[in-house]
Amino acid sequence: MSTLAAVPSEIAAPRRAIRRRRRRRIGTLLLLLPGAGFIAVAMIAPLLQLALGSVGLTGLGASEGFSLAAFGTVLANPMMRDAFLFSLRLALATTVLGVVAALALAALLMLRFPGRRLVMLLYKLPLVVPSLIAAFLILTMIGPGGMGARFAMQLGLGWPQLVHDRAGIGIILVLLWHQIPVTLLILLAVVGSIPRDLIDAARNLGATAPSVFRHVILPLALPGVSAAALLVFIDCFGAFAVPSLLGPAYPQALPVMMTTEFLERAHWQVASAIGVVMTITTIAVMVLYHRLIARADRERAG
Amino acid sequence: MNPVWSLRSPLLGWCLGFAVLAGAALVFALPIATAVLWSLVDPEVGWFPPHILPASLSFANWHDMLAVPELEEALGRSFLIAVLVTSLCAILGLPTGYALGRGRFPGRRAIEVLVLTPLMMPGIVLAIGLGGIFMRIGLSQTLTGVVLVQTAVILPLSIRILAATAQSIPSDLIDAATNLGAGPASLARHILVPLLLPGLLAAALLSFIASLEEFLLSFVVGMPTIQTLPMLLWAYLGGRSAILSYAAVVTVALLIPTLLVLVVVERVLKQEYLAAGFGKA
Repeated sequence: MSTLAAVPSEIAAPRRAIRRRRRRRIGTLLLLLPGAGFIAVAMIAPLLQLALGSVGLTGLGASEGFSLAAFGTVLANPMMRDAFLFSLRLALATTVLGVVAALALAALLMLRFPGRRLVMLLYKLPLVVPSLIAAFLILTMIGPGGMGARFAMQLGLGWPQLVHDRAGIGIILVLLWHQIPVTLLILLAVVGSIPRDLIDAARNLGATAPSVFRHVILPLALPGVSAAALLVFIDCFGAFAVPSLLGPAYPQALPVMMTTEFLERAHWQVASAIGVVMTITTIAVMVLYHRLIARADRERAG
Repeated sequence: MNPVWSLRSPLLGWCLGFAVLAGAALVFALPIATAVLWSLVDPEVGWFPPHILPASLSFANWHDMLAVPELEEALGRSFLIAVLVTSLCAILGLPTGYALGRGRFPGRRAIEVLVLTPLMMPGIVLAIGLGGIFMRIGLSQTLTGVVLVQTAVILPLSIRILAATAQSIPSDLIDAATNLGAGPASLARHILVPLLLPGLLAAALLSFIASLEEFLLSFVVGMPTIQTLPMLLWAYLGGRSAILSYAAVVTVALLIPTLLVLVVVERVLKQEYLAAGFGKA
């Protein structure tokens, strides 16, 4: 309808309107160009480099022409397979535990208690603390000779090995310390944008606070939560710093192997092939995520 | 504003508050206090388990670290890089953020997704891809190279905060100014600049901190010539050999500006913008 209504005025002064609109379009394009252009180049160039490099088509080191040898190395090597599974497990564990913890904290922060405002500020601390510092802080808590171990010794108890362990518990704890606040921040922003009327209406109709959380807030916040979970997963799947410091000697996380191949062994083709595998995995997870979201939407509508 | 409910009994509220604050102390205060203690441990005496507190404290580690040119160099370099990255992000991000926040144009959603891609790709993939290109074109192990890779991952943060700020400017205000005959220059001076300034400041602060802390891409592109503070921390934490008290000194040195910025950002920035910056889709 609106396009129909716009027609007469365009007939009245067609050229001027078109020119003005075109000028505005060009203006917008020029404004978009610096930032979006920079990001486009900075994203497309490395992916091209990895894709071409993984089949030996770019001239880093000795270029032997097209070959799939690097993919053979990556896919056939059991060390690489274990690294892939290790990274996948770290990312999955952190995502699931992180989302559950963030939901619990969000529910808790909806209650009024003394010190709530302080906690609302404190929880943002990890957002601005680099993961290396987080690794150090957690290491001094749970590592051998850390605070936990010292208190346990005072009490005459033992302390389990939580860093450099094969299950990657130390890594997961550091990743959680970092990712729970990110999820919580997004979650609280989404909850904050839920219309107040909706919640008041449910309350006036006699719903208890827990049931409002369960039946009103949670369903409306779910898209935000799932988007946050996706970001957490990708971030943890590609994590290098924390696994390189707190990880076991075997298995290593995939990004750690990739960096070693690239920086220390100068196996650029193998490093690029790992990069391609990681990119494909990430894209597969994103596609899966969108499928699940679309299906959930359909089910809710139907 | 988030909904807040009162508990039925105030006693329950006090118990809950106590439990939450105790948890926060365990997760935040105790680790930071331990880091400060580690940085003050007397190297002559050491701090061995099972002692809960070090037997004696000294500034020896700080003296040692300040005497090593490594730290001073890394500190200066990190701040220089942070200033450059912040400026670049502001220059590139302001026009794009404004267009994304205000304009309606075909393909807007696509541009928004594009801006988010650096957050949706594993950092290591970008690092190795860009690292490979930089090796070929001679930007590897240069300051320019490190500034460029950091900008690639920090720019989205800046664009999204600026877009959220631009979006919050009421259209009426701009229309009114235009109808009253304001040209682009006076529109910018009297309306846009004052209203965009808080967002620009917040974006700059967060870019600055993000640059100060960026490790992975700087590591892959800059190592070993261009060493930043986080790279030094990585080395002290076990990349080379673990020197806990030196790591603690670098940690405390990096934590102080971080905490300051957190408090400032909390004052200037609405929570929604922070969420926008951290990739609320």
